[in-house]
Amino acid sequence: MEGSRTILHADLDAFFASVEQLDDASLRGRPVLVGGRAGRGVVAAASYEARAFGCRSAMPMSRALALCPHACVARPRFARYAELSDRFMSILGRYSPLVEALSVDEAFIDATGSRLLHGNGEDIARGIRAATHAELGLTASVGVGPNKFVAKLASDMRKPDGLTACPADGLAEWLSPLGIERMWGVGPRTLPQFTAAGIRTFGDLQRMPEDAVRRVLGDHAVAMRERAFGRDDRPVEPEHERKGVGHETTFPEDVHDPEEAVAALHGLAEGACRRLRESGGLARCVTVKIRSAAFETITRSRTLEMPTDGTLEVLRVAKDLFRAWAAQGFEPLRLVGVRLDRIDAAEAPVQASLFPDANAERERTLDRVADAISRKHGPGTIGRGARPRPGA
Amino acid sequence: MPSHLKVNCDRSALVDALALASAVVPTRTTTPVLTCLKLTAKDGELVLRATDGQISLALSVPSVEVASAGEALIPADKLGQIVRTCEDSAVTIEMDKNVATVKGEGSTFKIFGYDPKDYPAGKDPQPVGAFEATSETLRRLVARTIFATAVENARFAINGVLMERKGKRLRLVGTDGKRLAVAAGGCTGDGEMTLIVPSKSLSILVKMLGDPDSKVVIGKSDGQAVFQVEGVGTLVTSLVEGTFPPFEDVIPKDQDKRVTFDAADLATAIRRAALLTNEESKGVRFAFKGDTLVVSSRAPEMGEAEIRVPMSGYQGDAIEIGFQPAFIVDALKVVDGQQVMLEMRSPQKPGVIKVGQEFTYVVMPVNVG
Repeated sequence: MEGSRTILHADLDAFFASVEQLDDASLRGRPVLVGGRAGRGVVAAASYEARAFGCRSAMPMSRALALCPHACVARPRFARYAELSDRFMSILGRYSPLVEALSVDEAFIDATGSRLLHGNGEDIARGIRAATHAELGLTASVGVGPNKFVAKLASDMRKPDGLTACPADGLAEWLSPLGIERMWGVGPRTLPQFTAAGIRTFGDLQRMPEDAVRRVLGDHAVAMRERAFGRDDRPVEPEHERKGVGHETTFPEDVHDPEEAVAALHGLAEGACRRLRESGGLARCVTVKIRSAAFETITRSRTLEMPTDGTLEVLRVAKDLFRAWAAQGFEPLRLVGVRLDRIDAAEAPVQASLFPDANAERERTLDRVADAISRKHGPGTIGRGARPRPGA
Repeated sequence: MPSHLKVNCDRSALVDALALASAVVPTRTTTPVLTCLKLTAKDGELVLRATDGQISLALSVPSVEVASAGEALIPADKLGQIVRTCEDSAVTIEMDKNVATVKGEGSTFKIFGYDPKDYPAGKDPQPVGAFEATSETLRRLVARTIFATAVENARFAINGVLMERKGKRLRLVGTDGKRLAVAAGGCTGDGEMTLIVPSKSLSILVKMLGDPDSKVVIGKSDGQAVFQVEGVGTLVTSLVEGTFPPFEDVIPKDQDKRVTFDAADLATAIRRAALLTNEESKGVRFAFKGDTLVVSSRAPEMGEAEIRVPMSGYQGDAIEIGFQPAFIVDALKVVDGQQVMLEMRSPQKPGVIKVGQEFTYVVMPVNVG
């Protein structure tokens, strides 16, 4: 690649919580937790006011409320979030065709080819932030750098509502004082290994010779050392390779009846297929995950003759796989999951069938209706019955 | 019957019979005796029996001298390994109180066997409505259909080959729901019979078939199919239950574009075009126009291919149609060395590959855009 690239990372601040504050003026300036209130519910998003009390997303709601008892709890409204997410992505699309969405509220933009048209990276970042605020009423934090790694680090630096552009020259020096815990791949578990090796900052890792890094911290740390200098040549990939989707559930108590687990597969297949349909993919492989009360995890997979996004088909295969396992020696269960992998784009070439299935069209209609209901009223409000009702 | 079997066998003939019988022996079973082979020596003949509960095989081992009639039940894998690794031209098997002694010139093995009475009864089935076909015919018809069968299907019984016998005409049909292979040949006698035979049973049957002109008697017995291969042995198999799809309905009768190719030439062109396909792109595009067929493919992030194949006598309007390359090559492989007729109608309708009246292959297209 000729010359340096201009990569942006744009991130909507406390997205779900901000949307709730946007739509309900009474919530503005107050701590807001988005998520289910029920016993085992988790926090999907916490407003910055709630974060001040230590609340974080993915935390059990009960724990968040213990930290911040006066927080307002809002039920998630996924249809509204999806709408605003689409509009945010289309704002980003004005500045470059190379937009890689990482999730509903963050994306990388390769603006290398847009500089003549829209100015330098900082100009573009200002444009994105202004449009997001004016058109959506939301704030975004944007980082600008020569690659994905640096852009993401930069966007995290001044949050919320921040703009950080790393300098074109002296990148290594600029990164040098950053704490090593900000390095991608360094988490609570690996951090002690780094501090034990005397590495507290990016600069410490830069100064350690490569072979010493490999010897002391392993091969994966060599790649981190490259990143510590701000080197990262991963491209921005607009159509990020489609990843599998999975749903799993941990039972409140261990399950001793195989059919009870089979019943749970209904909702899991429904959820996984709904997400697959939303992403516009077709799965070629169905996997059932089973974790026994003794914490042994087993998976059983089957590759499908025809890729599918149909709930009924996935459910049929998942039940088959589960029952085949159960028949060979059932053990009390702690968790079951359904996973869909090897995803094709729905617009990929399709092999036509010799013997069309008259029921298939009805099933597709049923899935579409169920999806619409889930979008409007939330996931899980509609699902297939596990057993026929007596007399039905 | 005195239970003191003793036989002298030609080693290479025994190796072949053991290999075939072992294909039936289940690898995992809760019934240990099923991992064994049953040997029965009587009237100057040694018969090997194996079963997995679905398929039962009885093989007559050639070049055997029966020194003492009797029965034995011996673990198949051990017996197979011992005889296979032996270098002598002859081996002797002798039973004494469920212990088998296998002797070569410089080796002696003792294997603990089981009581032959514990083995599932191996009575000789009496096939009903039986007819005959030659080994050559059966081998050809199975090869031309078994590749198109499905592994598993929720709607139809297509994890096997349909055998349909009407008078002197025998047809085999295999389909996986996306393509359909129909192969026809001759048989003796009259009457009608329809069976769906599991693919695994047929692949074992094919290995039993010997001399091209040898006869195979095919019939039904107690809801099972029976194949008696002249001079080799008998295969009894349970049938695939369920409904075979209405295959006659999907064989097109109104194709209006046709052309003839040498099967091997066309297969080579398709294989080359398929070099630049992947799971995502799936299809190869076939463009028939005037005197040239252009076979092309494109795989995202890999590249594209274009192969031009001259054709003569193309009838009909130009057409572009996509197929999975393997689906076409599979069919061309089984008619290698012959001229094939390709027939089409539209890019959304099935294509047909034909060799006279004896092979018809229907394949659904892929929408390659």
